[in-house]
Amino acid sequence: MNVLDLRHRASTGAIALGYRLIVVIAIGVALSFASDAFLTPTNILNVLRQAALLFLIASGLTLVILTAGLDLSVAANLGLAACVAASALKATGSPVVGVLTGIACGVGVGFANGLLVTALRLPPFIATYGMLWVLHGLSYYYMAGETIYGFSPGFREIGSGYLVGVPIPIYLMFVFLAIGWFFTQRTTWGQEIYAIGANPVAARLSGIPVQRRLLLVYTLSGGMAGLAALVYLARLNSAEADIGEPLLLPAIAACLIGGASLFGGVGTISGTLIGALILTLVLNGMNLLEVSANWQPFVTGAIVLAGVGIDMLTRRRAEEKH
Amino acid sequence: MKRAMLMTAAAFAMLAASGVKAEGEKIAVFTKNNTNPFFQAVRLGADSAAKQMNVTVTQFVPTKPDSIPEQMSQIEDVIVRRPDAIVFIPVDYKAMTPGVEKINRAGIPAVNIVDRSAGGKFVAFVGANDYTIGLATARHLVRALGGKGNVVIIEGVRGSLTSNDRVRGFQEAIKEAPGVKLLASQPANYQRLQALQVMENLMQSHPQIDGVLAANDAMALGALEALDGAKRKALVIGINGTKEAVDAIKSGRLLASGDYNGFLQGCMGTMIAARNLRKLPTPREILLPPVVVDKSNYQPYDIPVESRTCPKWESIVKTGR
Repeated sequence: MNVLDLRHRASTGAIALGYRLIVVIAIGVALSFASDAFLTPTNILNVLRQAALLFLIASGLTLVILTAGLDLSVAANLGLAACVAASALKATGSPVVGVLTGIACGVGVGFANGLLVTALRLPPFIATYGMLWVLHGLSYYYMAGETIYGFSPGFREIGSGYLVGVPIPIYLMFVFLAIGWFFTQRTTWGQEIYAIGANPVAARLSGIPVQRRLLLVYTLSGGMAGLAALVYLARLNSAEADIGEPLLLPAIAACLIGGASLFGGVGTISGTLIGALILTLVLNGMNLLEVSANWQPFVTGAIVLAGVGIDMLTRRRAEEKH
Repeated sequence: MKRAMLMTAAAFAMLAASGVKAEGEKIAVFTKNNTNPFFQAVRLGADSAAKQMNVTVTQFVPTKPDSIPEQMSQIEDVIVRRPDAIVFIPVDYKAMTPGVEKINRAGIPAVNIVDRSAGGKFVAFVGANDYTIGLATARHLVRALGGKGNVVIIEGVRGSLTSNDRVRGFQEAIKEAPGVKLLASQPANYQRLQALQVMENLMQSHPQIDGVLAANDAMALGALEALDGAKRKALVIGINGTKEAVDAIKSGRLLASGDYNGFLQGCMGTMIAARNLRKLPTPREILLPPVVVDKSNYQPYDIPVESRTCPKWESIVKTGR
């Protein structure tokens, strides 16, 4: 991979990001005309806080998708990590133990995924699909249809606390956006991840330790799922076995709407943030405008297709000009 | 084959000798999933009834929640194992009809509980009516509001029977009270996180919400978290009478929860299956009356489901029916 190639990709990346930002702004402008409640500081913070959880899961997943892999177990990992962390919190009453347990569970599962993909050479889809069921099974067995609820106010700050009027999850979102941006764009390891996704053979031949980088991205994805589990617990004050399930497709969608390609090598963490924002805005908008329950799936689908469709068209035109 | 027939004959002889009061019959219990506490309550109810009636209960639960093919293959397995009776909740009330017909063809008596199957033959049906539970719980909220105020409905999975019926009950109760205004009715798919987000969003466009009607307890508790987070107050009701909801009722956060009583449905279904085998009289249908759990009557629900016991048959079903 030569420098020119990377620079070219960076510039088209910035353009693509710009178009996605325009989609977000367009939805925002439309909503602020349609509802007086939309463009208020409290609603903006509300939307950002709602997007934070989705972004945290999707950001780790983005790294995996950049390598042309997939982590179908992220949401199930979140579910198990939440259940295990919840019982650790209940048993010890210590937020620190709870946080460490949740992260450890997420990282452990992610590392296991990494081993399946690297040591056993399983295709990522199959490895993480299998892991998804193993994790669901463990969660169901562990919880046996019960709910663990009621955590200490100290721990709950992570999800429902404020710092100078801004909810804590929003800080987490921007901190991890910054870390993710720096890691992917400004470190050798980050660039190597792009290279692996773009062309694994070339990456290996140019001396990139492909297997070790893959192990790293699956572990990071797991760790982010563990972190998201803690935010979930702290916001909802409760854990059930099946809490992860509804989050899998939105997490993948956030990455792809944000511009990541399942073929690898393309996508950014900031794009994923925009993807998470678009999905959150759609729900926010439908609730504010009181779209009927029967129409909500249709509206969600139509906006996703329109948003990504416009973006693809404009991007292709931009690329043809090059 | 001959041996099997001989054994059946011997069993009949024993039955006759003991005056149709054989014990230790095997009953297979089918529930929908391992994730919803409601079905856990059904299973525990069946276990408790099994202890009381001295029968053996085996549980069948799809590993993938609500999986139609999995329940279908579990039925096939069970037919091979030949239990004496089956207590059955279809994962889908229409799609499982062929499965029920297989059970019928195998000649195993079955009791249908919770969701009424669209087809097949059953000894009896035990269930509760989502509409009347929704209506009774919503009326409770309307009364607590003094017959006036702004309310929102949080719906379950769109298009599902339970959600449609519960929401219809909510709407009816709101219609009865001219002073109560329905501001919005939005779906949160029975999910806690979605209910939290929907409630956060609705609070943005409605500065005054006095009451929240959620189609299950998880959503009611999610909505409560949203209200707490915004430091706003509203009376909230849910449905299912879960332990978590009862705790929230006890501490005064949740107004009430309509009880669907899975435990009792599990009890009744298993008891009917056993009584039917013993040729004791059984009703064709039991519809449990709606019970609204609130601050005044939560005590029996405060006991963890694991330590509850089924009531005696005679105390629920009047003899001579």
